[in-house]
Amino acid sequence: MTIVTGEADARPRLQPARSGLLREIWLHRADYAYVLPAIVVMLIVIAYPIYYTIELSFFKTPPGLQLRDKTFNGIDNYTAILTSDVFWRVTWNTMVWTVASTFIAFVLGFATALALHRDFIGRGILRAVLIIPWVISAVAASYIWKWIYHSDFGIIGAVLVGLGLTDRPPNFIDSVGTVLPSLIVVNIWREFPFAMIMMMAGLQTVPDQLLRAATVDGANAWQRFWHVTFPHLRNVSTVTILLLAVANFNSFIIPWIMTGGGPSNASHIWITHIYELAFGRQRWGVASAYSVLLFVILMTLGYFYVRALSGDERKEGGA
Amino acid sequence: MSTIAETAPRDQARRRARVDGWRWGGRVFLVVMLLYTALPMIWMLLTSIKSGFAAMQFPPQWWPDEPTLASYQKLLDPQNSVGQDFLRFFWNSLFVSTVTTILSVIVAVPAAYAFSRFSFPGRNFLFFAVLLRNMFPAVIFLVPLFILMRLLGLVNTPYSLVLTYLTFGLPLSIWLLKGFFDNIPIQLEQAARIDGATRFQAFIMIVMPLSTPGIIATAIYSFIGAWNEYIYAYTFLNKNDQLTLPVGIQRFFSENTTDFPGLMAASFMMSVPVVVLFLVLQKYFVRALTEGAVKH
Repeated sequence: MTIVTGEADARPRLQPARSGLLREIWLHRADYAYVLPAIVVMLIVIAYPIYYTIELSFFKTPPGLQLRDKTFNGIDNYTAILTSDVFWRVTWNTMVWTVASTFIAFVLGFATALALHRDFIGRGILRAVLIIPWVISAVAASYIWKWIYHSDFGIIGAVLVGLGLTDRPPNFIDSVGTVLPSLIVVNIWREFPFAMIMMMAGLQTVPDQLLRAATVDGANAWQRFWHVTFPHLRNVSTVTILLLAVANFNSFIIPWIMTGGGPSNASHIWITHIYELAFGRQRWGVASAYSVLLFVILMTLGYFYVRALSGDERKEGGA
Repeated sequence: MSTIAETAPRDQARRRARVDGWRWGGRVFLVVMLLYTALPMIWMLLTSIKSGFAAMQFPPQWWPDEPTLASYQKLLDPQNSVGQDFLRFFWNSLFVSTVTTILSVIVAVPAAYAFSRFSFPGRNFLFFAVLLRNMFPAVIFLVPLFILMRLLGLVNTPYSLVLTYLTFGLPLSIWLLKGFFDNIPIQLEQAARIDGATRFQAFIMIVMPLSTPGIIATAIYSFIGAWNEYIYAYTFLNKNDQLTLPVGIQRFFSENTTDFPGLMAASFMMSVPVVVLFLVLQKYFVRALTEGAVKH
């Protein structure tokens, strides 16, 4: 009963709404001109590639870019991926890489932002220095750290030997056990400044009166942080963590330049693996199927991203 | 009366002691983070002023015995082939980044303005579609874009990179700028309109000057993104005279991986332009994030 009445209610409203929509679009036709350049560029460079990737993922492709000779093979690419050992190895690596990098970079960045919140001499300079790793190219960062980790002349190895902790300098990025953590350290080095900037910006929006009121009420530093500062930063934190997670999920340069995914796939993550499949072994179909799977995962993350952002939007509308 | 007078200072003293604990913890933490951040960069600089022989020693020379600028001279000397290549890569990077920056401001400003001011149907959908671009990894776009660029005849030209970089800089640019425009009172524009300005004039003369910091921040963001980009440049460019710095340096030193001083010098020089640019203009960037991204 209720459903029926609901429909009966809805139908008469739908009709004017639709013609209203067209009229709205027509009335606002000039407004679209402002957005048009952005949309056109996006369509060329985004919509078309996505469509093409999905199409290719169902085809067996010859090596080289003679893609006219591709043959349809249904979901073979997908089953081949999901049954291979490499896939699960790479997926595990990607999870470790993404979660560890995101979490540690966020915590370090947030803590740095809190420590920098109070004014002191040299604060501006310190902040500037801390941001530099985020600004310099990941290629440069990879080479700097590759040199630091060098198995014969690396500075960390030399320090460890000098302190008498080991006899020989350890192989940080040439051994299966240590390569991923070593790369994560580099990634965090590059990314914590981003979390720091975001959280510093967020901290400025926490009203001083509230903190002072909490002090008057006898709250200690931790209580002030937990009950006043942190709730205010919930939205910024969500956005920052999501942006970091997406960036980490999509990282390529650091593993690619420092190890190329080796040794024996220990530092391959999804993106480097896909790149190798496509441009190294020229298996475009399989690489595309990988991309589509990746895409599905990212859309799930994207759902939360948009929800976090539109949460902000709604609050803005209410204010 | 007397009890209050007695307890108050003691409370204060205790609170101060506790706050100091946190403050000291914060200081120690900052020192640790400073070392983590700065030591790798210092080691890069120290290595870059060693000779190839001095760099390859164990235990290492903590401070170079005979500091030399030979690596830098080699990279900057247009007479020898290394310098020629390096300077050409540098110029290519500069060209691509500058064109990208200019175009992305031209495209992002009107789009952000529309998202901020107009409520046309599909506005929210388009806005989030633009933001979603951030979610997709470059690899998804590589093959199709490579084919597209070949179709357009842009492979091995800087314009293939400009077109690509434009799109991945746009989402955050639009988002930041929208935040800026949201904070400019619409009454200012209305006043201008009443005084006889067209919407476009009001936009150029009222909104643009007020949002200069946002536009500068957007420009820095685009420039740094384009300057540091690697994966598309690595795929789209094959000719040696078209390479940008990140790819050029990689090609260059994967051939002779033992020249670590040269590699460190090149890494340093590649970082200088973006770091200087960022440090000079960082207050705009932080402000843009505060007003654009966070307050929202």
